[in-house]
Amino acid sequence: MKTISCLFACLSILLLLTGCFDKREIEQRSYVIALGLDKAKGKEGLFDITFQVENPEVVGPVQGSGTDEPPKETVTLTANDFVTAQNTANSFVSRKITLDFARVLVVSEELARSNEFLKIMETAARTKELRNNVSLIISKEKASEFLRNNNPKTETRLHKYFQFMIERAKETGIIPEADIHRFFQITEGDADLFLAMYATTKKSGKKDRHEDEYIAGEIPQKGGNPTEFMGSAVFKEGKMVGSLTGEETRMANILDNTMQMEDVLTMYPDPKKDNYYIASRFIKKKDTKVEVIYHKKRPTEINVTIPFQLEILAVPSLVDYSSNKKNKELLKKKIESKVKKTFEDFVKKTQDEYGEDPFYWSLYVRKYFKTIKEYEKANWSEEIYPHAHINIEIDLEDIEFGNLIKSTNFSEVAD
Amino acid sequence: MKVQGTLKASELSAIIILTIGIKFSDMTPAIYAQTGKNGYWLMPIISFIVILPSALLLLHLLGKYKNTNLIELIRHILGPKIGSVVSFILFLATFGALSMDSKNYVDTINTMYFEESPELILHLVFMFVCVLGAKKGFEAIGSTAWAILPYIKIAIVILLVIVLKDVIWLRIFPIFGGGLKEMVIEGAKKGSVFAELFIITMAYPIVKDKKSFRKGYLIGSFVVLFELLFFFWIYCTFYDYKSITKVAFPFHEMTQYINVGGFFTNIETFFMAFWILGAFFRFMLILYITTWLFGAIFNIKEFEPLVFILALIALTVGSVLGGSIYDNMIRRDNFLDLVTPFLILFPVMLWVVAKFKGELSKE
Repeated sequence: MKTISCLFACLSILLLLTGCFDKREIEQRSYVIALGLDKAKGKEGLFDITFQVENPEVVGPVQGSGTDEPPKETVTLTANDFVTAQNTANSFVSRKITLDFARVLVVSEELARSNEFLKIMETAARTKELRNNVSLIISKEKASEFLRNNNPKTETRLHKYFQFMIERAKETGIIPEADIHRFFQITEGDADLFLAMYATTKKSGKKDRHEDEYIAGEIPQKGGNPTEFMGSAVFKEGKMVGSLTGEETRMANILDNTMQMEDVLTMYPDPKKDNYYIASRFIKKKDTKVEVIYHKKRPTEINVTIPFQLEILAVPSLVDYSSNKKNKELLKKKIESKVKKTFEDFVKKTQDEYGEDPFYWSLYVRKYFKTIKEYEKANWSEEIYPHAHINIEIDLEDIEFGNLIKSTNFSEVAD
Repeated sequence: MKVQGTLKASELSAIIILTIGIKFSDMTPAIYAQTGKNGYWLMPIISFIVILPSALLLLHLLGKYKNTNLIELIRHILGPKIGSVVSFILFLATFGALSMDSKNYVDTINTMYFEESPELILHLVFMFVCVLGAKKGFEAIGSTAWAILPYIKIAIVILLVIVLKDVIWLRIFPIFGGGLKEMVIEGAKKGSVFAELFIITMAYPIVKDKKSFRKGYLIGSFVVLFELLFFFWIYCTFYDYKSITKVAFPFHEMTQYINVGGFFTNIETFFMAFWILGAFFRFMLILYITTWLFGAIFNIKEFEPLVFILALIALTVGSVLGGSIYDNMIRRDNFLDLVTPFLILFPVMLWVVAKFKGELSKE
């Protein structure tokens, strides 16, 4: 009896070995950080899939291991979808390709504008390997080209590069928050426009403008990594239909309470001197107030109030706005009317050009309906929004003037 | 009974909270979501209202007949023959739940975490752990429940804190999602989500006293209802109404989505550990109660060795039930619908018969 139970105990230890079924050492895997999707040249329904794989030996925690290998490897192959492509890639990549740590999904504009795009995104939803928090980037050029050109000089660790780049660009509001989860929620909801990050590594050389009026590729940049994240790609019903500049993307971020934005530096025309601009930090602490008053028969009213504060950082015209009350009042008024105008123009543009809103405002009309059937019948995207009367109020709560009480009087200095 | 009443009210509550509470992480939300859409978080209320009177009635009857467990009560009131038939149906329902749900849980583990492991092996290991636990007896299960409850709930609170920033609460509108009428009907059909409230009454005699049982039972039920509602609310606001009907395992998808800052990414395994602990506990309990029912029906005093055999049968039945995720969901859906009327009716039947026999007015 004793031997039997002893044997049994020994054998049951074997059960622990079942944990080894899925065992795979880190060095047996290659971690894809960026995934690129392009339309393949030849056949319909085929895609050029690009895997950008990080080299753990270079970027791992062990410092100074002294290897001369490059930090990343970029491979492109043609396949039906990116899941089967993983296996095909193993014909020239020695390790098991793992998507668990993918940070970005880069899609070329060409593919995003075609009907094929939704089909391949369906794969992304079905497979559990690609996480739903992967960011969606639309590249102006081919995705494979974008990933090859992207060569951050000071950031060898690719995953950190994408993480920091996107994080920071999101904070400044020049690109939207766009992951696969959000893409599906909005696309399937079929009521609003989805904004994806817009990026490129190619210059299109337009002339200089204000700090956020560019879209990717237009920024007059010298030196550094050629990759630019700026503006957003607009998706309507799962298909790209246009692009927004950085400024417009910022406005969309401000109007959409489901987005977060922290650190926005902007310029406003100086009300006293025509050719000058005032630099300021836009601080938004409170949510934008969006109130939708739904009317069944006549156009719906949408009242939007944008509360914000400004911190004036630079007044190159040297006009005294901080201590002169009258000037301050004037500045406040001018800024409010300027901001109001830009917002109104932009909202009008979305109504006329796209017929849908990129602000996720369909959320606010839902409370008027009891069931989804009624809500879908009322048709926010086609019936309600395009004809709605939208009333935008700007509430500039306070203007701060940095840490100087007064600006220096340079005319006195010249004396 | 081998042991005489030492289970505390808190332990009973913990058992109820753990066994029913874990249902927010399996396919139950997906089943509700098919009809309720984004309004489905309200549906457990209906299920609970439907089931509560019967549960209370059963509690009342158990109070009248001192120191009897569920099967003894049924037999006593309905007589040995009909009583055995009713008890056997109860056993079959529990056994069905055991084999089907354990298969579903193993399926989840397989698709979400251990993709390359054969399902049978996972199932085998899973059942093995449950057998080891169940063998320890009900008292041990009770104190385990009380011991692991805080850890599991702390993990869940951490998850909630992390996920709250990704929640858009306006998504709960339109408030009645798939339609009020549909929601009420479907919610009522799914009353058996709270089925454990009935089979747990097997433990009536081993709880310290009548008052503790009632207290633990009610606290457990209401806490668990609140927990389900709250979690379903999170799902409804995390996903929009179209996507919510497509996601099979919202809990696991959610843990895959979240990050803690930029440094802690891919943290789902942390939550998985607690989830699997809860899952083990749930099946330990169901396995034990199934065996207990079986033992009581066939008058087997020493029923604990049967745990192993029943687990093996449940494993076999579970692995025969093949099929895709969708099939699993439909099967579970139908099963829940089937069990609900039985659960609602049998306490009423017991009460009516007891009334006629004039046994209730005694005392």
